[in-house]
Amino acid sequence: MGLPEDQPNLLRPGHSACAGCGLAIGMKLVLQAMGPKTIAVIVPSCEGAIGGVYPNTSYGVPTFHSAFEIAAPTAAGIANALKILGKEEIQVVAFAGDGGTFDIGLQSLSGVAKNNDDILYVCLDNEAYMNTGIQVSSATPSFAWTGTTPRGNPGRKKNIMEIMAAHYNPYSATATIGFPQDLQHKIVKAKGIRGTKFIHLLVPCPTGWRTPPDLSPELSILSVETNIFPLYEVEEGRKYTINHEPRALPVQEYLLRQGRFKHLTKEQIQQIQMEVDEEWEKLKNRARKSFGRRKRGVS
Amino acid sequence: MREFITGNEAVAHAVKLCRTPLIAAYPITPQTGIYEKLSEWEASGELKGMMMRTESEHSAMASCISASLTGVRTFTATSSQGLALMHEMLHFAAGCRVPVVMANVNRLLAAPWGFWADQLDSLSQRDTGWIQFYCENGQEALDTVIQSYRIAEQVYLPAMVCLEAFFVSHFMEPVDIPEQEEVDLFLPPFSLPHKFDIERPGFFVPVVPSELYRKYKQMAQASMDSVKEVSLRVDQEFKKMFGRGYGIIEPIMLEDAEVVIVTACSITSTARITIKRLREGGKKVGLLKIRLFRPFPVEAIQNTLKGKRKIAVIDRNLSLGGGGIFCQELRAGMVHSSDHPLIYSYIAGVGGTDVTPEVIEKIAFDATRRNEPSDPPIWVMEE
Amino acid sequence: MKVYAESPELVIPISFESTEVIETGKWGFQKPHTTSMTAPCEEACPAGIPIATFIYLAGEGKFREALEAILKENPFPGVCGRVCFHPCESVCNRNRYDEAVSVNPLERYVFDATMDLSPKPNPAPNTDPKEIAIVGAGPAGLSCAYFLALLGHKVTLFEARKEPGGVLRWGIPDYRLPKQVLKKEIQRILGLGIELKTGVRVGKDLSIEALSQFDAVFLSPGASRGIPLGIEDENLKKIWRGIDFLNRINSGKQVRPGKVVVVIGGGNTAMDVARSARRLGSSVTVAYRRTKKEMPAIEDEIEEAEQEGVRFEFLIQPVKIKLLKNRKIRIKFQRMRLRKSNQEKRPRPIPIKGSFVMMEADRLITAVGEGVDLSWIPQALIEKEFLKPMSSSWNGKTKVFAGGDAIDQHRSVVTAISSGKRAAISIDLSFTEMNPEEVFSKIRVGSKGALSIEAYLRGRESGIWEEPKGVVFYDQINTLFFAPSKRVKKRRIDPGMSLRGFSEVHSGLSSEEAERSALRCFSCGTCNYCYNCYFFCPEGAVTLDPVNRIRTVDFQHCKGCGTCVKACPRNVVEMRREE
Repeated sequence: MGLPEDQPNLLRPGHSACAGCGLAIGMKLVLQAMGPKTIAVIVPSCEGAIGGVYPNTSYGVPTFHSAFEIAAPTAAGIANALKILGKEEIQVVAFAGDGGTFDIGLQSLSGVAKNNDDILYVCLDNEAYMNTGIQVSSATPSFAWTGTTPRGNPGRKKNIMEIMAAHYNPYSATATIGFPQDLQHKIVKAKGIRGTKFIHLLVPCPTGWRTPPDLSPELSILSVETNIFPLYEVEEGRKYTINHEPRALPVQEYLLRQGRFKHLTKEQIQQIQMEVDEEWEKLKNRARKSFGRRKRGVS
Repeated sequence: MREFITGNEAVAHAVKLCRTPLIAAYPITPQTGIYEKLSEWEASGELKGMMMRTESEHSAMASCISASLTGVRTFTATSSQGLALMHEMLHFAAGCRVPVVMANVNRLLAAPWGFWADQLDSLSQRDTGWIQFYCENGQEALDTVIQSYRIAEQVYLPAMVCLEAFFVSHFMEPVDIPEQEEVDLFLPPFSLPHKFDIERPGFFVPVVPSELYRKYKQMAQASMDSVKEVSLRVDQEFKKMFGRGYGIIEPIMLEDAEVVIVTACSITSTARITIKRLREGGKKVGLLKIRLFRPFPVEAIQNTLKGKRKIAVIDRNLSLGGGGIFCQELRAGMVHSSDHPLIYSYIAGVGGTDVTPEVIEKIAFDATRRNEPSDPPIWVMEE
Repeated sequence: MKVYAESPELVIPISFESTEVIETGKWGFQKPHTTSMTAPCEEACPAGIPIATFIYLAGEGKFREALEAILKENPFPGVCGRVCFHPCESVCNRNRYDEAVSVNPLERYVFDATMDLSPKPNPAPNTDPKEIAIVGAGPAGLSCAYFLALLGHKVTLFEARKEPGGVLRWGIPDYRLPKQVLKKEIQRILGLGIELKTGVRVGKDLSIEALSQFDAVFLSPGASRGIPLGIEDENLKKIWRGIDFLNRINSGKQVRPGKVVVVIGGGNTAMDVARSARRLGSSVTVAYRRTKKEMPAIEDEIEEAEQEGVRFEFLIQPVKIKLLKNRKIRIKFQRMRLRKSNQEKRPRPIPIKGSFVMMEADRLITAVGEGVDLSWIPQALIEKEFLKPMSSSWNGKTKVFAGGDAIDQHRSVVTAISSGKRAAISIDLSFTEMNPEEVFSKIRVGSKGALSIEAYLRGRESGIWEEPKGVVFYDQINTLFFAPSKRVKKRRIDPGMSLRGFSEVHSGLSSEEAERSALRCFSCGTCNYCYNCYFFCPEGAVTLDPVNRIRTVDFQHCKGCGTCVKACPRNVVEMRREE
């Protein structure tokens, strides 16, 4: 029927992701929507582990294991080389974790977005440095437990979508595994756009979030329905489109199911709720003020 | 075609002649001349290529590596801090066995700050697995860039062409710019066996077990070793075609020299004049220019310096606690020599200080005077 | 040290082999298995219709397949889609989340969408077909005939009246069940090769003894005798039995009930009578001895009657009728009050002594219940429990079964269909050595009495009886995967318009509404290919084949994380420990 889910699965089984890994689900969905005419760039992170040890690989497309902080320019180099060779029908996708995007990779991603190189950049956000244990990153939410913030994260999660919007790149979107068709739809849409496309993909991590291995899709849905992680698109840094009407559940529904938040006090939860509500209002305002406002329903 | 251009421009000409379609770069004094010239030609269409104006040198090298693996010839240029920033990527490039060619304008490393000529920036990258050439002047830089592509694309190792800040990069002299047709004949089209292939998807440079890592390093070592012979051959072919050849080392008036001065880069030009003068004054002094630094041409040097008892290496660099790096390498290469030569390490020109003929004379006199081995580096100042 | 594949062009390590050779399935100690569960709606439906399946097919636009799915267990989708009291919707799990799924309108939609099609259900092969007689071609008789034909038997159906249908044809008015819908359904049933003999009244045109030439007999004469009020003067011409009134209308005769009509009763017949009288120009008052809450009629019927201008008077019971000189009648009603009783389900109406109310009318129509006409059965046979559901062999050879309104069971179309199916299976079983109770316990759909003839056919053919499926309850549904939504409101013709004749009142769903309604179904216990397990498996170990309805899990790579179990909104997957 031409849907991404009819296409072959390009993340082959036998990989060493943890049981129930949300990142594996995310990569699988993205690669499937990308299709076999793709070159992928991955960095040292959980996706590197998933890639496999020589001589076996789980990736069904040519993949380059580059260094940590340079997923974006590596992908840009490939994209430009393909352009020179006249092979622009081959897509280039860069995968990096939240550490490789929000922290050490932020500079190089910014450089590529400034140049508007023709790549799709997918940030697989599991909200900490998970491959190396569980260490805090700029994507770790407030008060979360990690190995390097055992009393709760004093920092607040960066708004990477706003950072990207400040680059006026043609297309950015949030997505999460709990809404697989929305994610794949956005990948397919991004494939048809020239320039630097950015997908902020929230992928729950049972190991790092201290949850049982079977909850990743549910947590992912709850993150959207509590407005903690709204689903929206930004075009050229100015057109905001909200993709899903959330049920506006209280943040506890999402937070208290995770071991990394179970120590939260009432005040902390209230603060999180306040911050979430404020950001959601800001987002709605931006969407309202955008011209050409379109809303797509997500089943 | 003969033009009056700077060393930087000469390098830019070479890149254009090699039909390099992808150039990723980041500006840093004194490399900017190369970057701007290429940008000018890209805008006018003279350069049939794409410039990637990256946000840092580290990203520039990253883009060159991946573009190379996709199947196109690439180039970047940098200096000093930029090269230092690229360090991680230099190892990576050699590990990926990509024939990237880079021009490095040797500039001192901060702190403290300065823009002056000093070779420590590229020399402190000598372990990264890059082929390194040190060029005496703009003409040599141009020619070496062309040769480097040929060599790199044969052995699948990246190559660095070094030229000194301001003394070469900004110095204008008449340069012979080869014709495009000639370069096309000399340099075959880019080819790489280990390119990305959609038809046969593979996971490039994955995690490997220790034994396999070792195996690939052994293979790389063998390739690096072959560069000594390959670059000599390439240089000879170049000479045949373009009329200019440099060798991987160049002996000057060495026949009965009692003291051999060893230099690299622009100091060599000064030394040529100084040695002539000293000879005219009856001094039995010779000169050895080292052009290829990595791989260090041990055999060639051992052969050339057979029978020589005193060697004075001039280093425009200093590895703190280790001394002059050219001297270190040379001493290591001569350790088995039955002549047991006395090898003295002279530090001159660090930080871009001027190495005048008088300084070189001073070194020659000092070396002549000494008869005992002396390990620590000897600082030579201009008056 | 391992020897790796050498390739001359390999200058750097590149992995080409797939990780599929690594059996990560060995990591886990449990594996997911597809369960087999029943939805509560399927359990509540007396006919045991595979509701989740037909709704899934309807949602896919596969209306022919949806119809065929229903026809496996119910020969009257068009009828039920219009007149069923939909117990399915009352127990629908979605009720507890937002609003029940529109099962009934969807059943109607499936029929309407396939009006042009004539699917022919395939009778099962039968090496020893029996000859069965059925008395009464109402919903129970027609259903029994249908299921017996599906089981491969030869059926002869005797109907006293000139056309088949029973209460469907002669009782329910057109505006609820148009005649062409019924005609199409009966055509489809008879198309299985059932021999129908109309105008044959058993006991008059055909003797009961003549039935003994058959191997078995199913009696479904229905309940067509209007029960009298039990008060004096009730045989006046001005007083009609509701059943007869409806019969005459459905026979196409001209009927003039008069300007002012009073209807006694609170059931569906009373509503049918009242609303039909309205259409014939009368002003109608319904008098019921309890209150609206206790009325047994379907709520929609009551609401529509009100909308159509039928007035209601509660807590009154007629005690005397007097014919007046002006050819009207005066009815004396006793006021009643309700007394709650612990023993009885419904509160008892108790007369309020000395409290009366009078009404004048042109016609009184009674609809206080229907009784079974036993006049055609000899007393001896009645005493021998002739008219009973399960087999009583009356002459030592012919087995006799009974069903429909004639036996003691809840009176509704779908219950009649259910009793016809039960009898058909019982009849088939009676020619074998199998124990009906045991078989019924295996082919049941849930625990409320519905049976699956599909399960029976499978068991009969293979000799292997599957265990009946458990029912999925609300707390086993993962509602997180469903966005709250409201069901489509029923659309009716404006009451003013609808009273002009007997055209159908409900307009049914539009195709967009049907799709939307179908997508609301949780599909409790039945996989509807939502692809959640496929999308959410981190190993990509799940393969779905919606065309052949197969779901496979690659156990070599399944790590047993359990995500598919949690992510299945409808409890179709469960984990089992590996040995």
